[in-house]
Amino acid sequence: MDRIMQIKGMCATYASKIVLSDINVDIYKNSITALIGPSGCGKTTFIKSLNLLVEDEKDGSVKGSILLEGKDARNIPREKLRSKLGMVFQNPAPFPLSIKDNMTYAPRYHGIRDKERLGQIAREKLQVAGLYDEVSHCLDMPARKLSGGQQQRLCIARALTVEPSVLLLDEPCSALDIQNTAKIEAMLKELSRDYAIVIVTHNLAQARRIADYTMFMMSGELVEFGRTSEVFSNPKDERTRQYIEGIFG
Amino acid sequence: MDKKSKYNRFLIWSVLSAALTFAVAFFILGYILLKGGGMVSTEFLLDSPKGFPLGSSGGIYPAIIGSLAFTGVACAVASLLAISTAVYLKFYCGSRRLYSIVRLVIESTAGMPSIVLGLFGYTLFVLKMGFGVSVLSGGLVLGIMIFPFIEVRVEKRLGEIEQDMLLSSYALGVSRYYTIKRLVLRKALPDIISAVALAGGFAMGATAPIIFTGAVIYAKAPESIMSPAMALSYHLYVLIGEGAPTEYVYGTATVLMLLILAINGAAMLFGKVNRGE
Amino acid sequence: MKRDKVFEFIIKAFTLVSVAILGFIIFFIGAESLPAFRHSGVAGFFTNERWHPMGTDPVLSILPMVFATVYVSFLAVVIALPIGVGTAVFLSCVAGEAARRLLKPFIDLMAGLPSVVFGFMGLMVVVGYFERHFSMSSGESALAGGMVLAIMILPYIISTCDTTMVGIMKSYKTSSDSLGVSKWHMVRYLVLPAASRSVLAGAVLALARGMGETMAVMMVIGNSPIFPRLLGKCETIPALIALEMGGAPVGSLHYHALFAAGFILIIMRFAVSMLVSHIKKGADL
Repeated sequence: MDRIMQIKGMCATYASKIVLSDINVDIYKNSITALIGPSGCGKTTFIKSLNLLVEDEKDGSVKGSILLEGKDARNIPREKLRSKLGMVFQNPAPFPLSIKDNMTYAPRYHGIRDKERLGQIAREKLQVAGLYDEVSHCLDMPARKLSGGQQQRLCIARALTVEPSVLLLDEPCSALDIQNTAKIEAMLKELSRDYAIVIVTHNLAQARRIADYTMFMMSGELVEFGRTSEVFSNPKDERTRQYIEGIFG
Repeated sequence: MDKKSKYNRFLIWSVLSAALTFAVAFFILGYILLKGGGMVSTEFLLDSPKGFPLGSSGGIYPAIIGSLAFTGVACAVASLLAISTAVYLKFYCGSRRLYSIVRLVIESTAGMPSIVLGLFGYTLFVLKMGFGVSVLSGGLVLGIMIFPFIEVRVEKRLGEIEQDMLLSSYALGVSRYYTIKRLVLRKALPDIISAVALAGGFAMGATAPIIFTGAVIYAKAPESIMSPAMALSYHLYVLIGEGAPTEYVYGTATVLMLLILAINGAAMLFGKVNRGE
Repeated sequence: MKRDKVFEFIIKAFTLVSVAILGFIIFFIGAESLPAFRHSGVAGFFTNERWHPMGTDPVLSILPMVFATVYVSFLAVVIALPIGVGTAVFLSCVAGEAARRLLKPFIDLMAGLPSVVFGFMGLMVVVGYFERHFSMSSGESALAGGMVLAIMILPYIISTCDTTMVGIMKSYKTSSDSLGVSKWHMVRYLVLPAASRSVLAGAVLALARGMGETMAVMMVIGNSPIFPRLLGKCETIPALIALEMGGAPVGSLHYHALFAAGFILIIMRFAVSMLVSHIKKGADL
């Protein structure tokens, strides 16, 4: 499979506190990579480092080499980088605007003014996220009025409006019930045909269900990385085995 | 880039607005302090107004004492009643209906223009209740004016007391009274003092409510609550109307402003009560 | 225990006294207004030719004053709103943490200045300027009143807007950044639209405040009981009451007329407050 991102020697710190040390991993195109590990091991920091969001935070700093489609992430203008690496957070955070305005928010910034075109993009991405049928009749409704699951799918659709190459998701289903989780997992599997997806999850079953590759992290280090089937059935590291069997949880 | 220049408009707008706002604020503060600062001397502060028109020479002592008297009465009365009401609403009021009624009454008063309160006070306190033009009448009207201000902030502060702490206290078999006295009020005290002080600053600057209820153009420093008194705010207004020499006007304004700033400063030191809300 | 009962009683008693006095006010004012309404008729109170409450054949019309009150206040809001919102944007979205902490107290300070001081500065600066530069015989005008009032309500608009905007920035900056848009795009398409309800509520609230303001406005608008024009003199209801209260003998028609004017003012403010509640409800924040 083709690699879309190559990370070598990544370290992340907040002030003097080291959160990530020496991560080396590749993200593959058109696949889902799950990131698992105990609480506080640095999973969220990892994906926030990929789009250098860590450096926008107080005292945050990222070192190491991050290549996106062969280019150094630092050489790409920050806004462009962010648009190539779409991000969705744990708690659905739709903007306090209408559904339509949520969807047209980013395209507008990138210069698209034509109302028709904006509407088209909104429709397209909502369809990809499997939300369009549910909201096509009420696009002007405030997005906050949607259910939790719908809000989260909206956030994913919104992230898609910037045509990212990679989708970074931070425990997108942890605030949702089983049905909504299933819907989103199905959607992600569909999306993985066209996008590279990195999903942080504390739900091992989820990782098993949808991920092609799995990263296991502990205390800021990448302990193991490989195809999901292998990591789960034949973990190379003792710590991985123990985590999967539920000792650390 | 096209994007940049478009959003430049917003940057310029916000920076210019802020610049204008702060320029005006600093100008008002600075100009008055500059022009009036020179007047502030022991003579000015301790002497009575003299000259013709009255106030063109001499000092403003009776007005300073008068203002303090009016504000003192207002704060004493208002804080007693407002704090009690806040405690009632937060701890003793059982019915939703009663709560809404009380809140409605308080909010209506908050919305009442100060001059109308002055009119009310004039008829009720000065005439009908026979207090006459006095520190008491004026203080009571000011007290009504600042009552909602204090009540709202105290109630808000009381509401921020953690439920868990209250429940723990009750679970120990302790009465509401004891809980309020020893826990609640003690914790909320700095913010309560702050709210009262802020209200005091507000009262000290108010002119309309005391024009016919307590403030007079000339009087000695008030000897009792029933005496009429001068007030800095009203004196300032009178001086302007009379066309008194500007140094005296600026001087009076400076003293009034400094007093209010001092009270507000003390209030801010005590608590995090915000005026703009 | 006995102490508890006593305390409870005192608290309830004080609350009762407070509510009684405050509740009494509106009834009292209404009652004292009745003779004036009876004299001119409620409609007549608005439509008679002019305000002349003294003499043998008094005529009462409050309409010019009602218009003036709304006009001057509206003017103030129109002037203060763009500046206030802009300043709020500056404080919440542009200024760094340190600058904010330094500057914000000055806004609160401004809110604490007495209205006579604003009136005084208005006279010296605004009216004086008008007289010098626009060769007006008198610089006292509705415009002067609007400008002075605008400065007075500015801190309130800034505070309300700033609080809302800071909340929005805190909640959504990360999400917005992750979409790769600039801060100003966020301000234009997220912060401002999302804050718009709050801004509107703040503006209307400021309008209400302005309508009740007495001293500062009174000192610069000239106080002629005629219909307001931008550069003409006018008289607001608070000014009317303040200026004529001393000269109206207790119990006379004039006296009752002033109460009636005050009652009308209360109703006006109440109506505006209702508007604010309505706006806030729609916000579902």
